[in-house]
Amino acid sequence: MTVKKLIILMLVIAFLAIFNAFMVWSIFVLYMDGRFSLMVVLVILTVMIDLFVLNPKGYPYRYMIPALVLLFILTLYPMYYTFEVAFTNFGTGHLFTRQEVVQRLLNDYFYVPEDPTEYDFSIFLRIRDYKPTDEFIILFERVDDGKEFFSARPLAEARDNQGNIISAAGTLHEGMQNNVEIGDRSYRIVRDPDTQRVITLVADTGEAYQYFYAPKDPDMSANAPHFISEIRGKWLRNAEFIDEAGNMLRLSPQTLYRTFATIERQYGLRTITDFSGQRPEQITVVYNRETDNNLTERDGAFFDIDDFGREFSVMGYISNVGFRQFRRLLEDPRVRGPFFSIFSWTFTWAGLSVLFSFVMGLALAITLNDRLLKGKKLYRTLLIIPWAIPSFISVLVWKNGLFNETYGILNRFLVTGLFGAEPIRWLGDAFWARVSVLMVNTWLGFPYMMTVCLGALQSIPDEFYEAASIDGASKVQQFGRITFPLLMVTIAPLLVGSFAFNFNNFVGIFLLTEGGPPIPGATTPAGSTDILISYTYKLAFYGRGQDFGFASAISIIIFAIVAGFSWLNFKVSRSFEEVSR
Amino acid sequence: MKKLFVVVFLVLLLSSFVSAKLVVWCSENQVPALERLAAEFERDYGIEVEVQQVNFGDIKSNFLVAAPAGEGPDIIVGAHDWVGELAQDGLLEPLPFIPQRDAYYDVALEAFSYGGRLYGLPYALESIAIIYNKDLIFEDEVPTTIAELESIAMDIADDEIVGFIYDAPNFYFSFPFIAGYGGYIFKETADGLDPTDIGLNNEGAAKGVSLIRSWFDMGLIPRGANYALMDGLFVEGLAAFIVNGPWATPGYRDAGIDYGIIPFSEIELEPGVTPKPFVGVQGFMINSRSKSKIEAVEFVVNYMGSYRGQKAMFDVERRGIVRSDLYAEVEAQGGPEIYDIIQFSASASVGTPMPNIPEMAAVWGSMEDALNLVINAQDTVQNALDAAVEKIKAAID
Repeated sequence: MTVKKLIILMLVIAFLAIFNAFMVWSIFVLYMDGRFSLMVVLVILTVMIDLFVLNPKGYPYRYMIPALVLLFILTLYPMYYTFEVAFTNFGTGHLFTRQEVVQRLLNDYFYVPEDPTEYDFSIFLRIRDYKPTDEFIILFERVDDGKEFFSARPLAEARDNQGNIISAAGTLHEGMQNNVEIGDRSYRIVRDPDTQRVITLVADTGEAYQYFYAPKDPDMSANAPHFISEIRGKWLRNAEFIDEAGNMLRLSPQTLYRTFATIERQYGLRTITDFSGQRPEQITVVYNRETDNNLTERDGAFFDIDDFGREFSVMGYISNVGFRQFRRLLEDPRVRGPFFSIFSWTFTWAGLSVLFSFVMGLALAITLNDRLLKGKKLYRTLLIIPWAIPSFISVLVWKNGLFNETYGILNRFLVTGLFGAEPIRWLGDAFWARVSVLMVNTWLGFPYMMTVCLGALQSIPDEFYEAASIDGASKVQQFGRITFPLLMVTIAPLLVGSFAFNFNNFVGIFLLTEGGPPIPGATTPAGSTDILISYTYKLAFYGRGQDFGFASAISIIIFAIVAGFSWLNFKVSRSFEEVSR
Repeated sequence: MKKLFVVVFLVLLLSSFVSAKLVVWCSENQVPALERLAAEFERDYGIEVEVQQVNFGDIKSNFLVAAPAGEGPDIIVGAHDWVGELAQDGLLEPLPFIPQRDAYYDVALEAFSYGGRLYGLPYALESIAIIYNKDLIFEDEVPTTIAELESIAMDIADDEIVGFIYDAPNFYFSFPFIAGYGGYIFKETADGLDPTDIGLNNEGAAKGVSLIRSWFDMGLIPRGANYALMDGLFVEGLAAFIVNGPWATPGYRDAGIDYGIIPFSEIELEPGVTPKPFVGVQGFMINSRSKSKIEAVEFVVNYMGSYRGQKAMFDVERRGIVRSDLYAEVEAQGGPEIYDIIQFSASASVGTPMPNIPEMAAVWGSMEDALNLVINAQDTVQNALDAAVEKIKAAID
């Protein structure tokens, strides 16, 4: 017994150790990436789980761990994240932090000066035990005059967290006919007597560097894989060489990295004195090294000036914009104008959807609950179908098969066929489009209501009805006095929930009408059947790319509306207290 | 649970030690061609290229999630209208140089240019055209003007057969008629498209939309026309003329429909004026945050951009060709597939690339609203177009 317990304890501790190692590693990674909010969540979670497991008093809480993990990761963190994003301009053009953007401006942008100097290059490699190493000397041949310069392997100045070199530097040394001095070492140059080409470099300490590769020498192409993966991939990719004039040489993109050329960094940092504030202040700015223009920053983006004197956005970054996204929601005429009509339609839509599907569901449930009805199971199965078919499919059938103006069944066989009336513009007319979305949503929603009503009806004891019929109550009286009140105890909270769901029923609207038909003369994208969520979706994602900050602000507001309304509804109907009693 | 944690831990640990290699995201059809060129690249450069199949619809959205985090593929294969958004996000590396630039059709390179830089190497282009059913329209009465098409279609229409139908409320399909008369979306300037100059409510655009409206008013196109309806009717042989793209013709062939294609270059709105369809271009784009940018550029430019690379792509995906030398070779082959390619390419030759700037997102919905209002006779053409332009301006402000 004790041995078994010991084993279990050991297992628990081993498991905990592995879990903690994993969490600490994740936390470290998140810290390195600067994603502090998720890091804090993980820290709290780790500490709590450790406490629950190690502290005997926390024993009962162990069983909550899975729920806790899910609560944090799937509910609390996304909520927190939404709040955080709502106060930023996160979206298209603003995906990186300012620090990352400055780094990229400094490291990734280059320009080719007026008349660049170009150098062909060849690699001389040390061969050890008949195997190529990554010790090399590089020979630069100036294309203009054929002058030869040599450089040792560049020194790695910075590496990323995986050990890759992200910056390396070297210097060019002019070579003589027979020798070259590189730093404090001297090399003897061995040339081919016929072509005068350098074949080998021998250091004064004796090591020999053999001619290994040159991009323009087809005879050496067999060595390309080693050059590309070991030499260029590791050492030359981000290397900068300083030539005798002090210019910077990099692998030239213009020749697809087959030569080196004088290439300058487009942007640099410098300190200037800013007089715009109350007193002069020293600030660091990014400037364009080619045009000597200081970049300006506004709206979370860097702006430069192009050749024609026009300002253009170089790169945007995520910046904190305070309540601007919320103010936009209040001030934007595109929101303010149609807001109240959309708002009232959203309420109408959610209310009528619940009402219709409830009435229909209840009526069917009462019918199905009748003891005299035969084939109940069959009916019940058939009536569940609208619920069981994915709405993505059934709504398309409604849209194209039933509502189509010319070919739809409703118009073809009922409206014009049977009644001989003018065809109805189901999805083209504001009123009929609203009727259509409500029809489809009722069709999609009644099986749910029917199912819950059936369950609730069956829980009402038969004795009540027996007593009522002995007292002489009619069927209608029985329904009004017994069935309905007892039903509402169970169903009312579900109705509130259904209302909240339909309030945000984006799919119900978007699949059928996409918010349309459009309102004539409107200068906003609002359509006749747009509800709050579908309209704001259009605002956030049908403008200039994706506007996550604005979308987050909207979802917070909608959350507040729905939460407030649900709370009020529970209060008024007092069904909540009924249930909790 | 424990096992799971260990496995997850090991996977995460291993993934941080992977050596340099190129990762390409492409859709299913392109995999064989890319793998062939990848093997050559691996042989010549000693660098592995991993071709990963991702659903076309997921490539851009997954890339937008992965690339900012410094992960994701080095190369993506996608559509040119992603370029504006991705470049504005700073996620695409401009191509410094492409050899044999002259061999490429201008429209294909223009499509991948943004802010004066080239952000992708094209390999295929596509455009729409008028497709007709040869069982209903005889070879000698193929129309050469829109007016002829109208009268033929009116004659042929009866209770069952529809003369002319296309997805008119969809701006993509109605654009050729709007652009043909001189409507434009964003003004083309020397350094790209100017989103402040919108030409969708000018005289030409109004003329084009009026023409579309007249088709509904005269009962030529049935009300409620949409893509699914058009496609269904044509497959059943019940539609004479439709407007559709090369993606649909294999289906029509399989359905046994004997169809012909009238490129927009061969049908006139008025003398000397043809409709101008959108041209969509597919190509290779490079992740600016890739750790192997140099190798990615070399693979795309030297291998996928070569004649052989482009031919390999054409062999696995029969789409419009972007290189004139390859086009000349393919044109000589003949056959039903080649006929489609030649006709749709001819249509593309009078087309204009779909704008690749992110502001385009505001245009689709606004113009669809305008077209719906006009088709349903709820507003005048000019009013509807003015409102659409207002909406676009408000959305991109």
